[in-house]
Amino acid sequence: MSEKYIGKDILKVDVQDKVTGKALYPDDIYFKDMLYLKIKRATYPHAYLRKLDLSKAEKLPGVVRIISAADIPQVKNFGLMIKDQPVLVGIGQKMRYMGDALAIVIAESKEVASKAVKLIEVEVEKLEVISDPLRAMDKNAPLIHQDGNILATHYLEKGDIKMGFAEADLIVEKEYRTSFLDHVPLQVEAGVGIYDKKSGVITLWVATQWLHDTQADIAQSLGLSKEKIRIIQPVIGGAFGKKEDISVHIHLALAAIETKRPVKLIYSREESMIAQSKRHPFIIRAKTGATKEGYLTAWQAFVIGDTGAYASSGPAVVHKGMYHCTGPYNVANVKGVAYTVYTNNTYAGAMRGFGTTQMAFAYESQMDILAHQLGINPAQFRLQNAYEIGSSTPNGQILTHSVGVKETIKEALNMAGWKGEAQ
Amino acid sequence: MTKLKIELMVNRKKRKIEITPSTRLIDLLRDDLQLTGTKEGCGKGECGACTVIMNGELVASCLVLAPQADGAVITTIEGLGSSDHLDPIQEAFIESGAVQCGFCTPGMILAARRLLEENPHPDEEEIKRGISGNLCRCTGYQKIIEAIKLSIARLSKSDSGKAK
Amino acid sequence: MEASFGDLKKGQKNCQRTVPCQYFAPQKIEEALEILSKYGKEIKIIAGGTDLLVQYYDRLYEVSAWLDLKNIEELKEIKIDQNQIEIGAMSTHTQLESSADIKRYYPILSQAASDIGSPQIRNRGTIGGNIVNASPAGDLLPALIAYRAQFKLVSHKEESIVSAEDFFLGPKKTILKFEQLLSKIIIPIPEQNTYSSWIKIGKRKALMVATVSLALVLSMAEDNKIIQEVKVCLGSVASTPFEIMEIREKMIGRQFKQLDFNELGQLVEDRISPIDDIRGTKGYRQEVTKNIMINALEKIQETWGQSQND
Ligand SMILES: Cc1cc2nc3c(=O)[nH]c(=O)nc-3n(C[C@H](O)[C@H](O)[C@H](O)COP(=O)(O)OP(=O)(O)OC[C@H]3O[C@@H](n4cnc5c(N)ncnc54)[C@H](O)[C@@H]3O)c2cc1C
Ligand code: FES
Ligand code: FES
Repeated sequence: MSEKYIGKDILKVDVQDKVTGKALYPDDIYFKDMLYLKIKRATYPHAYLRKLDLSKAEKLPGVVRIISAADIPQVKNFGLMIKDQPVLVGIGQKMRYMGDALAIVIAESKEVASKAVKLIEVEVEKLEVISDPLRAMDKNAPLIHQDGNILATHYLEKGDIKMGFAEADLIVEKEYRTSFLDHVPLQVEAGVGIYDKKSGVITLWVATQWLHDTQADIAQSLGLSKEKIRIIQPVIGGAFGKKEDISVHIHLALAAIETKRPVKLIYSREESMIAQSKRHPFIIRAKTGATKEGYLTAWQAFVIGDTGAYASSGPAVVHKGMYHCTGPYNVANVKGVAYTVYTNNTYAGAMRGFGTTQMAFAYESQMDILAHQLGINPAQFRLQNAYEIGSSTPNGQILTHSVGVKETIKEALNMAGWKGEAQ
Repeated sequence: MTKLKIELMVNRKKRKIEITPSTRLIDLLRDDLQLTGTKEGCGKGECGACTVIMNGELVASCLVLAPQADGAVITTIEGLGSSDHLDPIQEAFIESGAVQCGFCTPGMILAARRLLEENPHPDEEEIKRGISGNLCRCTGYQKIIEAIKLSIARLSKSDSGKAK
Repeated sequence: MEASFGDLKKGQKNCQRTVPCQYFAPQKIEEALEILSKYGKEIKIIAGGTDLLVQYYDRLYEVSAWLDLKNIEELKEIKIDQNQIEIGAMSTHTQLESSADIKRYYPILSQAASDIGSPQIRNRGTIGGNIVNASPAGDLLPALIAYRAQFKLVSHKEESIVSAEDFFLGPKKTILKFEQLLSKIIIPIPEQNTYSSWIKIGKRKALMVATVSLALVLSMAEDNKIIQEVKVCLGSVASTPFEIMEIREKMIGRQFKQLDFNELGQLVEDRISPIDDIRGTKGYRQEVTKNIMINALEKIQETWGQSQND
């Protein structure tokens, strides 16, 4: 087995289909009598839905059915870690970001579905829009979800932080902020669904990165057993974490059950930007101590992750980010706190690196500033603090194998031909 | 309903078809002609996933009205090669590992094809410019550029072969 | 089990378009003008479609009639004589980029065209569309003003010629009336000792809308020493592309060695009041505008210097 594959170039099983255009992505699937869905989305980032008037849209020829929350009282919230995301926002309920779904339009063509969505009239009672997590954390800030705007708090402690700072000859304290990022997989959220009346099974051709979790989440939301939800993973046009969360799935399932016809839903790129997950923007306050010989003694991290309107993987991403607060550098005394905070921004979830890339911006900046102020070559400063076999991470994990950071730094210096800072 | 009859050559086949004028070329290709190798990634000319060759030029089929393609000669990815007879560029993409999710691949291969028709020996800068209308979110482009370099070698070999 | 669904593509059909609409693609300008006068505001003129189809994304059904200029050969011609060049409105950016005459006499128009979008966009997008769309970031516009271009506007009743700087009123707003077509762009052949520079600043090299752009065209007197005429035009820093007139008095009648580039850069910076938007902040735009003015002068001085040595 190993001799056959390791160190060899292996062709992807579907690569021929991909270069000839034969590979079937969800949008490439067409069934007879298929209907097209389009979602009416929130009209304000934080508001109570007071009125939803479908009458004009329903009269449009070619509209088959419009589903709103009133039609599906049995359907439950969904979500990767916490079930806080509504399938459809009902009258008297809150929309919490511009991506919240208010109604599912089902029509004979994409064109009619698009037109009908624009004919839906919405009345809302506006609430304060919280776009800054610091505002969300204020005592008097309105609550986005019932249990408070701070969704999760995680702590980290290793060694003795006080002692660590006491040992330091230099302490640098700075604040760093990172921005939202969209994964922009080249294919947007897309899927096709079919409901089989006889067996009661819903089959979905939708990209997902968590096949079984997605299946379970759809099932619990619809109140069906998992056997009734069948997901066929088509070819995926990129994901990068963005396709961990539910997108078109439940809406497709509902429309398929309701109409007993094949249904298709493709987001536009704008919709994908507005409605589907992002990389968490972080506010990071880092306080780092080092000796004048250039050894790190203490690192304190204060992290706020803006998870937007819904949890998604937020609590995991943000606290994982905090665990990486020192980067690949040895620090005996570490203390941290991380808050995952709700706002009315588009929700943030998993994205390549899962919180660590945000932290890298902070710790590598700290390392440069320290090196500069200590008058030490920043590469040397990194090398003498870098992890090796036997190092322990901020959360106390002892590294026993595969620690390549020193070699990586040396090789990077070598390849870049870097000769030290210009004076 | 006002329908319009148009006639075009797609992948060397004459196609006559009735459409409403506000049909985009991408919809004509995907929905009416079942050529779903042409992908839609943005619908606004930004990503190049919908790239086809029209009258010898690279175009974004999401920004062309179908009637604008009346009388045109069009090549889509399906017209390039089949699984049994891959085009040298398709082969090079496979061998260089230039395909990951594959969503950009049809457009990217057509951009490469057009580039090499116009300029059989592009340098790296010219390659980059040739594919500058095609985004790839997976590969980081390096392997795509390698694949195009490999194609250059393959194509010039097969040309000199033919000349003899 | 998947096989039970059979062919996953069996249901393909014309699945989006049901709304009726008219489409005209006349071969003569006169026919086009007749159609325009008949349908008036109800009809959309389409050239390359690279602006229109983005504008009408997901709502093409709102257009009830199209006037496609693609068959009007006259609009695709580029003609040159001793005095001027005439560029048909349907000339594409690819044509502008590769035309030998344009490269020779209007190099920065050719460069600006080659900086637009991507190959796909340049192959379809036209000079006429770029002008009529009147985006403050339209890449051809600063160069057109700097080369003193004029536009020929025609309707079924009359024709008129306007100069580029009088054409633009605001973002997407021009003096063009709905029964009028832009038929061609007329640019005088520049004086012998003319030098020019085009700088476009944005976030990446391709598919990028300018954050700031600058076109500088300068001609020397016969002695090739004294500056006789200069135009500095900016894009993306105001609601329309525009010329910085104040530069003229500081440069005309002088020699390169008498110029203070830094002061000229500062003058340009002081004359603009850009806005913050997604592409850049006001402060960024001001600073960069100053710097690219200096860079443009340096580039021109260098080319001029070479001509002195020859
Ligand atoms: C992805 C992308 C990238 C782009 N990048 C750039 C860029 O870098 N720089 C830049 O400047 N632009 C850019 N553009 C914008 C666009 O491509 C250009 O403005 C192009 O020149 C428009 O020409 P068109 O022929 O496609 O116009 P169309 O879309 O066909 O028409 C635009 C407008 O002009 C009108 N019109 C067209 N021709 C005439 C005529 N002869 N008489 C009267 N009215 C007319 C139309 O009715 C319409 O209102 C980009 C567009 C896209 C989609
Ligand atoms: S879909 Fe046409 S360019 Fe993106
Ligand atoms: S391979 Fe996925 S976008 Fe290029």
